[in-house]
Amino acid sequence: MINLALIARFYPTLLYGAWVSLQIAAFSCTIGLVLGTILGLASCARNKLLANAVLLYTTVVRGIPMLIQIMFVAYVLPETGINISLFWGAVLAIGLNSSAYVCHIIRSGILSVDQGQIEAARVLGMSNFQITRFIILPQAFQVVLPALGNEFVTLVKDSSLASTVGVVELTKTGSVVRSLTLDVVTVFAAVGAIYLAMTLALSAVITLIEKWMGRHAVS
Amino acid sequence: MLSLKNIRKRFGSRQVLDDVSLNVARGEVAVLLGASGVGKSTLLRVLACLEAPDSGAIELDGVQLDQERIRQGHLVGMVFQQFNLFPNMTVARNITLALQEVLGMSAADAVQSAKHLLEQYGLAGKETSYPRSLSGGQKQRLAIARAVAMKPKVICMDEPTSALDPLLTAHVARSIMKLAEDGYMVLLASHDTELLKRLNCTIYLMEAGKIVQQAPSQEFVAAPAQFPQLNAFVQGVADPDTL
Repeated sequence: MINLALIARFYPTLLYGAWVSLQIAAFSCTIGLVLGTILGLASCARNKLLANAVLLYTTVVRGIPMLIQIMFVAYVLPETGINISLFWGAVLAIGLNSSAYVCHIIRSGILSVDQGQIEAARVLGMSNFQITRFIILPQAFQVVLPALGNEFVTLVKDSSLASTVGVVELTKTGSVVRSLTLDVVTVFAAVGAIYLAMTLALSAVITLIEKWMGRHAVS
Repeated sequence: MLSLKNIRKRFGSRQVLDDVSLNVARGEVAVLLGASGVGKSTLLRVLACLEAPDSGAIELDGVQLDQERIRQGHLVGMVFQQFNLFPNMTVARNITLALQEVLGMSAADAVQSAKHLLEQYGLAGKETSYPRSLSGGQKQRLAIARAVAMKPKVICMDEPTSALDPLLTAHVARSIMKLAEDGYMVLLASHDTELLKRLNCTIYLMEAGKIVQQAPSQEFVAAPAQFPQLNAFVQGVADPDTL
């Protein structure tokens, strides 16, 4: 069934594919987290135009399959003269898609912060920026960390969609190895095991962060 | 001397503050007494710049102040009903945050200042604790220390006893009187007549957004019959329609 010799022969190739997948996930996650946080803050703004623009963005992005968005960046943007490498195109598409989900996660965290604390900070003379930085975001992240963790685990798995536009990451590497060896079971068992190892490792890191933050938990 | 002159505030069709005027001298405690919803908290929120008045003036030592000036000068401190401490920060950080970020104090000076205040308010040794581990009374003292740290001229306290065990009323009264002794102008909103009995203050009875009667607490205690509306409220026989 499982050909260990084949795994031994191709594991450096598969691990390189996994490294590329991790890079896609890490860069997409960074875009998703930074942009999602900004969008989450903007979605809570008093400026209704800004808040509605964010809502429109997240509705559109969440309503279209990520695969279509990856293909859009890979195939449609070059038609308009915007040339971007397949790798960075996939990162951009996955990151922008993630930002829409992160936006709503962060928004729920922001709304969970007691308004009274914001008023207390305001009476103390703190600016909106200081209130956001010291009062709102630290508590919001604490509340939404489990949901953010799920989103990032999903991103690692979603990075496999980059293979459809030719990015040679773990799934694509597995397909190439399969075509060379014709051993479907061994190759995809190995690929699946590597994805599982990556998501389990990420989950463990998130659990550690949750425990650390739990020691300073908001009561 | 703090002077509020003809403060008016409307929420929708409801006139929450209707031509409210009062004076509070340095070292004086003024108590806004009245049932829930008569405008006591709104008046404090106007003073603390959390609500803008529709009209009226706020003067401090004869100088008229707009809310921006009150905010920038950190002239008003507020102790909230639910204390509104920052639960993600230690007790000391609750105090040092604004000292460093707003007043620009160095970390060392802010920590020193916080330590001194915590000692003063009976919270020595609690610097590294989190607010969730404090009792109700300790939380309130921390909230007072946090407000006092900014060296305001006026301290507002919203329902200082409502979130605490009734047994703590005497402690709260002592904390309030200490603020007055330290030279602050203290303005508090309460419907707690037990607290009132323990304070040397000026009482302002509010009904439907207006101050309907005022009395020095000692005069009221000595001759309650001279202040019929106030006496009715304290005796718990106020007209239910006004509550």
